[in-house]
Amino acid sequence: MSELAPGDSRGTPAEDLEDLYENAPCGYLSLRPDGRIFKSNATLSNWIGFSQADLLGKKLHELLTVAGRMFYETHFSPLLRMQGFFNEVALDFVTKDGTKLPVLANAMERRDDAGNLLFTRVTVFQAAQRRRYERDLVDLRTAAEAAKKEAIAAKVLAEAGLSEEQAVAELREQFIAVLGHDLRNPLASIDGGTRMLLQEELSGRAQKIVTLMQGSVSRMSGLIDNVLDFARGRLGGGIALEANALEQLEPVLQQVVEELRVGSPGRVIEASFKITQNVYCDRSRIGQLASNLLGNALTHGAVDRPIQFLVGTTDETLELSVVNGGDPIPPEAMNRLFHPFFRGEVRDSQQGLGLGLHIASEIAKAHGGTLVVNSSSSETRFTFQMPLKPIGQDDRVGQ
Amino acid sequence: MTSTLKRNNVKISGSGERFIVFAHGFGCDQNMWRFVSPAFENDFRTVLFDHVGAGGSDLSAYDPTKYSTLGGYADDLVELGNELNLKDAVFVGHSVSSMIGVMASIKAPEMFNSLVLVGPSARYIDDGEYIGGFSRAQIDELLDSLADNHLGWSAAMAPAIMGNPDRPELGEDLTNSFCRTDPDIAKAFARVTFMSDNRNDLGKVTAQTLVLQCREDIIASEQVGEYVQQNIPNSEMVILNATGHCPNLSAPDEVVSAIKAFV
Repeated sequence: MSELAPGDSRGTPAEDLEDLYENAPCGYLSLRPDGRIFKSNATLSNWIGFSQADLLGKKLHELLTVAGRMFYETHFSPLLRMQGFFNEVALDFVTKDGTKLPVLANAMERRDDAGNLLFTRVTVFQAAQRRRYERDLVDLRTAAEAAKKEAIAAKVLAEAGLSEEQAVAELREQFIAVLGHDLRNPLASIDGGTRMLLQEELSGRAQKIVTLMQGSVSRMSGLIDNVLDFARGRLGGGIALEANALEQLEPVLQQVVEELRVGSPGRVIEASFKITQNVYCDRSRIGQLASNLLGNALTHGAVDRPIQFLVGTTDETLELSVVNGGDPIPPEAMNRLFHPFFRGEVRDSQQGLGLGLHIASEIAKAHGGTLVVNSSSSETRFTFQMPLKPIGQDDRVGQ
Repeated sequence: MTSTLKRNNVKISGSGERFIVFAHGFGCDQNMWRFVSPAFENDFRTVLFDHVGAGGSDLSAYDPTKYSTLGGYADDLVELGNELNLKDAVFVGHSVSSMIGVMASIKAPEMFNSLVLVGPSARYIDDGEYIGGFSRAQIDELLDSLADNHLGWSAAMAPAIMGNPDRPELGEDLTNSFCRTDPDIAKAFARVTFMSDNRNDLGKVTAQTLVLQCREDIIASEQVGEYVQQNIPNSEMVILNATGHCPNLSAPDEVVSAIKAFV
């Protein structure tokens, strides 16, 4: 490729250096060592409205806003002296008509061989749009930092609140667990004492009282079981099962019915057992479920109507129902029936913790079963159904 | 090096008995004294330092609460003086450091027996009869405009500026480094500087004091310098031929001889 000399015969125009200075696409200023302007170009005059003659003898900072002057004096002037130049500094000129002209400026000192300052050249570029954009960026960054600070503060608060809530919950459930546990020991003593008394020769009245005490003991024992299970469930363990299909379920349920009959003399519990299959379950848990459902029926059912306790198996399921008469469960209570601490309208002396049905439904869930309620003016029926084999066992065998 | 000396990037030179401490003002760092302090090395031990937040100081020591008043900077100066066992030393403060020196000398009167205040102002904002040279609105505009001139500061450069020997590639760009400051710190320092009011401190100064005043100083006018001189009991004023706010850079010889004549 041949090099072209300026102004050669092939039509490249010659550069006019005087015109390049005067009408360059940037502003030029030259400063004497005392900082006064001794030369400037036409472009700058066009931008700021002061003629070249106006500018002669002025100091650069006189062309700036007050803030710009302060910044120039405290930063750029020292910088220029220390490093001999400055680059990319943002300045605001004030034009003759008083408007602001944002520029970016570079400056460079010229010194003689002895190091004496001869003059300083300053080049300025209009930068209104760039500065507006930079301001936007700075504003955005400021906003982002403020938002970040807020988010961090909110997070700290939330974490503090959450951990406090967790700590309170843990304390509460530990308290319940310890309480339930400690209540069992004295209750076991009372239970043992009443059993021994019943073997003595007692008056008819004493016999009756001790029998009632036995009933209260078993009812209280059930309440404590429920409290412990509830606390354990909330501590994250859920209802623990010790399930197998080997032992008989019926004797456990028989015993539950017997205990409740003893504890509620005058009430009739009609039990029917048709268990023909082995059931893979935790028998004591199913006993607890039955006890809770029967306890509920004794508390809420009509005293003059028998309670039916029906247990049977089909080829695939165990079904256990408790039926009582009396007022139906109000529709608004249906939704909350299995929630912990839900208590229906009963006499104070009958008041429980409201955990019985909740624990029963948890036991049902733990067995892969369901506990549903139907209530009408003729009867209230709780029905528990569960598969005879654990869910997924057939699939596992199939694999 | 002790933590105080490291915190303030203290540089000690010279062979004299007596100490002379140079303090930089708002804007740059101890390099402001580069043409002045060497002239004192034969007769004095010279002490240069950077205020926390400026130059090579420890930026992690920057505590926005402590440095929300000039008192925080004065405390640093007193700590530094105690560290060096300064007694009857000379203090030379430029611009806002004049008042930092005034406050330090009141807190520890035995530390400096001579104060040299270069371009001092006891208050920058006009207040009734008092002429400081600026309106509150103009100072606010300055604070706003600081964001436009980061002077090469960016988050990516910060590790180099703060001294990061593990990443030498970051340390090469020294352009503008004398005046490069974290924008947040620069803004806070500008606020504490230009909002300060030390008029009530001037009368408590016991050290002999020299006010060095330039002509055409747009930051601290002659009127402002005169106010300082008239209110410090044992003081005198020298008007330099130099113009502008930084005679330590523009007319170092004049500054050196004025200080030497005084001490």
